[in-house]
Order: sequence, then structure tokens, then C-alpha cells
Amino acid sequence: MATNLYRLVYYSRNCIEGTAAEVTAKVNAILESAQRNNALLGVTGALIFNAGIFAQVLEGDRQDVALTFERIQRDTRHGDVQVLAFEEVQNRGFPAWSMAFVGRSREGENLFGHIGEATGFEAKRMEGERIFEIMRAIAIEEEARAAA
Amino acid sequence: MLSISRDTRTIRQNEDDIGAIALCALRNLDHAVAVIDPGGRILLENSTFSELFGGEAWAVELLGSIRRAADGVDRTGPRNVHHQDGRIFSVETVRVPQGLLVAAEDVSGRVAEKARTAETARTDVITSLGNRLMFRERLTAILTTLVHPADAAAVLIFDLDRFKAINDTLGSSVCDALLGIVAERVRSAIGPADIVARLRGDKFGIVQIGRPQPESARALAKRLVDLLGRSYIVEGHLINVGASVGIALVPADGGHTDQILKNAELALNCAKQEGQGSYRFFETVMDEQMQAHRSLELDFRRALALRELALVYQPQFNLTSKRITGFEALLRWHSPKRGLVSPADFIPLAEEIGLIVPIGEWVIRTACEEAVSWPQPLNVAVNVSAVQFGSPNLVSTILSALAQSGLDPRRLEVEITESVLLGDHRASLDTLLRVRELGVRVSMDDFGTGYSSLSYLRSFPFDKIKIDQSFVRGQSDDPSGMAIVRAIAGLGQSLGMATLAEGVETEEQLARVATDGCTDVQGYLISRPLPPERIGEFLQSYRETAPAAATAQHRSRAT
Repeated sequence: MATNLYRLVYYSRNCIEGTAAEVTAKVNAILESAQRNNALLGVTGALIFNAGIFAQVLEGDRQDVALTFERIQRDTRHGDVQVLAFEEVQNRGFPAWSMAFVGRSREGENLFGHIGEATGFEAKRMEGERIFEIMRAIAIEEEARAAA
Repeated sequence: MLSISRDTRTIRQNEDDIGAIALCALRNLDHAVAVIDPGGRILLENSTFSELFGGEAWAVELLGSIRRAADGVDRTGPRNVHHQDGRIFSVETVRVPQGLLVAAEDVSGRVAEKARTAETARTDVITSLGNRLMFRERLTAILTTLVHPADAAAVLIFDLDRFKAINDTLGSSVCDALLGIVAERVRSAIGPADIVARLRGDKFGIVQIGRPQPESARALAKRLVDLLGRSYIVEGHLINVGASVGIALVPADGGHTDQILKNAELALNCAKQEGQGSYRFFETVMDEQMQAHRSLELDFRRALALRELALVYQPQFNLTSKRITGFEALLRWHSPKRGLVSPADFIPLAEEIGLIVPIGEWVIRTACEEAVSWPQPLNVAVNVSAVQFGSPNLVSTILSALAQSGLDPRRLEVEITESVLLGDHRASLDTLLRVRELGVRVSMDDFGTGYSSLSYLRSFPFDKIKIDQSFVRGQSDDPSGMAIVRAIAGLGQSLGMATLAEGVETEEQLARVATDGCTDVQGYLISRPLPPERIGEFLQSYRETAPAAATAQHRSRAT
């Protein structure tokens, strides 16, 4: 069945520079605008920011995902954007999430911290599907904690 | 049809009537008309005029300026005057005995239409950017108003790498959409004063204005390479293209539009030669190289007509029969101006400018004719390039060369490189099969240097594999070259194809390739390439001075 529902998974190098506080402020600004824009378009997904990487899942109508992706591509704060997956899907993996920043969680650190540490930039070896699964696990965990 | 007749008697009859008619006509005109006396008093006006110039202070002021402009002049205008409500009027004045006749016509629609037409003529439909016309006009305007070095600008021309492949696989509608997104990305990267246009196809131009150069152009070029090289999503397709950028600085790299554009394009070509996703500033040496290339092209275009091209023939020797089996025809260009030009210089040029097809035809015809006159019925091998395979006439050219010369087709051998099979594989194979059906042999040249795909060897029953000289000439302490020769020779044996080692220069190399299993050799050890008139003499003398190793080796293998 054609759903016109698409999922895009990408990672990018985070081109934000500055002190820890400046970086945090700028990342928060990215998250806020992303949440606002994506909610307007009906795009849902999840985002991991850690060790200089953004890894993001975007889900929505083909045109909406394309629009969102194009906006990210033009954003100078993202560099070296690599698409890991772009495919039509039957269901959203992140239906209730507008956008989630899960990089702050200890689990996120544990999952991605060692990757950045060991090889500098190893996330590109992971297929989109796997990142997606990892992100979903983290997001669900975060959600459970928030509800508790 | 309504016919109009002029009855002059009527006019004489009643001057009062005429006045009434004139007044009526005046009142019903769409034009605003008035007669104003020298003191500024309006003697006569129609309603359109009072609407326009009555009342508001600015309108009275505008009328004042129109009157001042008409002072002491018989006629002024028509000139366009902007009304405060946005309308544009074409105003004319004529001096009359009573004062000044002022007529104003609303031309807003016409002006807007003209602007729209001009805009359309300068807009690219696909991207909504400017087009080539607009780009040239704006650049020319910048060049003519340029007075100060501080007004420096930079022209960046860029195009998309792999765009043609996208067009071929995904079609023009996806490509048009892609160009639209490219245009938006470019817009997001440039300043509000900068000029951007799509020049043609996937080629764009930017004029960067009012910034310190060359650093601003360098920064923009880097940004474009990065930005345009990022993935695109177009109609559900994930697309990757790259961008290469050429930059010329204004006014340093040229004083007029054509020169600046040409130099930016030259820089773009150099950037593309360096590989995808790079940028280059124009340098004078690029122009010199281009001029040298152009001059070589001019000379080369005349070479065939002026009979400066000639064939020389390098013998091929069979290790089993210990006989010369034939000659490879090699093209030489003796330029009176340049001396002997290397084929490495003129063959790529001939391919680039399409001359390889007529020259290739000349080679086939000449080789066939000369081979017929040889004292022995030996083979003649000609090189046929991938470009010739793209031309539809190759088979008929071979057929006609054989017929005209009377050469036995079995004596002709066509040497191709694997690049022939790289493009339209199926079409090339069909052509090869048709060549084979004529009785002509086909060999694979320079094997081992390119992709060396074994599937090429399987896809067509070649008669011979020629092993590239780089493996043959390798030092005896270099085991890898020897291993490759041995492997290809073994492969040839299994597939039933002869294997010829190229570039054999020493007895030692000859012994080695013989041990490795090659069936044939070619190289300086046997003979340098010979002009046609020396072939008879060579064949005569060769019987007496055959290389010792070839004979010895053969004997040792035979025992």
C-alpha cells in the first residue's frame, strides 16, 4: 500500500563552535526551531546530538520530509550531512514525538560516546536502520522517565 | 466599415459649432488635457485633468514643474511622470497662442507590460533566476560603471558534476526540479546585492559585488562546493551531485564581459579537470594553455589534408612459428612546424574534436592498401578507438577498405581497448560481432592497465590479448609484473586466445615472456616501427638475424 509516508535517517557533523555554554545555547536554538517547524509540517522524528554529531530521524509526507531535509541542508550549522536511509514506510516509528533531544541522557552518552571516542567519527559505519532502532530505544526510555 | 468624409464647407459655416464640437471631444478624451495661460490660470481643462492635477499640493507642484520645463520651448515630452497613486503618465506640452497646452496619457498598463516582457525575457523559467541575457547585461553595466579599484567584483561560474547521468537515469522533470532546488540553495548562499543567473543547462553564474576580493569569492566558492554537494531529495529520489567552480576577478581578469566570462569558464574547466567538487581562480597560464591547445587543434585539423599523417608498422613475432606474423599500423604526425608530434598529444585531441572518425577511416584504408603491396601476405593490425565505435559507419568503412584494396579480410586485425566496451556495451559488442563476421580478427589492446575486467574477455571471443608493455618491461626482480604476464598468458591459453607481450626490448624480457607462456611478442627487440617502404627490406634481412632467445627458448620449450 502506498502511504506517501517516508522516513529519512541522516547524520551530520555539528559545525557549532564556542564554549560549552555557547554550544548548548545554539543547540537548544536548533532544537526549538526544529520542533516548531516540524510540528507545523507534521514531521515527527528524533534527534541525537553527541560528540559532534547530529543523528536524526525524520518521518512524514514525502514533500514535508523533503522540505525539512532541504532546510537542514542549507543550515551552515550542519556539515557533512550523510543520508543513511530514505525510504517509504508503513508506520511512523516516532508518531508522538515532534522532536527529541536525547543526547543529554546518560544512556545516549553510553551508546554514542564511545563511538566518538574510539574512532572520532564512526557513526557513518552504522546503517540507518540500526541508528533508527537505537534512537527509538532511547526515545522510549526518555519518555518513560518523563512520565514517571 | 464606417467611412469618414471631411466637408470643409461645414467648418466655414459655423465657427461656434466647431468650438462646441472641440469642447465635447476634449471632455470625452481619456487623456488629461488643459490649456494654461502664462500666469498659471487654467483656461480650459477636462475632467480627467482636474482629477489628476487639481486639489493636492504635490499635484499642483508637479504641474508647476511641467510648466517650468516647457518655459520658452515650443514642445516638450512625451516624458513619463509618476503620479502619487502609482499611475504613470506620459506628458506632452505644446505652446499655443493662449498659453500652454498640456496633455497627459495614462501609460501605467503599457509601462508595466513592457517591464513584464523585459523581466520575462531575462528570467529563467525553470529556476526563476535571471538568465544569460540578464547576467551579461548586469555584468556589462558593472564593468562600465566601474571607476575605483574598491568596486572590485568576482564572477563565479559553476556547473554540476554528474548532472548528465541524473538526466539520463531520472529524466528531465526530476532534473528541472533539481535545478530549482540548486537555485534556492545558491540564493541562500549569496548576498542581496549579488547577481545570480542560470546560464544554460546546469551552468550557473554569480557576480559577487562590493566585498573584499579574492577572499570573499574563495569563501563563496567553498560554500557552493559544500552546499551543492550535499544530497538532494527530489520527487522521492535521493540525488547526489557535486559542483565545480571557476572564478574570475573584475577588473583584474578582464575589462569586458566576454573576456571575464571566458576566463571564468577556463578556470571552471581547470577545476573540473582536477576532479569533482573543486574551485579554481583564473590564471593567465590557463589562457596560454588553452591557446596552445587551440593552436595544436588548428594545425592538426590541416594535418590530414596536407598529408602530414603517416603510418609506420611495427612487426609482430610469433614465438611458436618463429616467424613475423604481421605488423601493427601506428599513426605518426610529422608537423613541419612542430616536428614529430607524439600520438599521446594528438590522439586525445582528435577524439575530443571528433576528427578521430575521419582519421581512423584513413588509417584503416591506408593500412589495407599498403598491406596488399607487402611481399608476403602478413597481417596488419589497426587501432580503433571507442569514439569510432560510437560512429555508425565503422563496419561499412572496414568493408569498403577491404573491397577497395582487395585485402583478404583474414589479414586485417582490429585492436580495441576495453574503453570500447565501457560505454554502450551491447551496441559495441554487436559492432564487434559484425566485424568478426567479415572475417576480420579482433584483439584486446593494452590489457592489464584499465579495469581489466575478466567479463570483457568472456563477453567477446577475442583472437588475441595484448599485454601492456608496463608489465613486460618490469624489472626481473619485480615479481608482480611477471606474475601478471603469466596470469594473462594462462588466461589466454584457457580461453583459446593468443597472448602478445608488448614492448619487448631485451633478449632477457623475451625469454621471460616466452617462459610465462605468451604466444607472440612485439617491441624494439624485434624492430622499431618501420615506414612502409622499408618493410620489404626488413622481412628480407629478418630471416637471417632472428633474436637468438626466441629460437632458443622455443627449442627448450619444445623439448
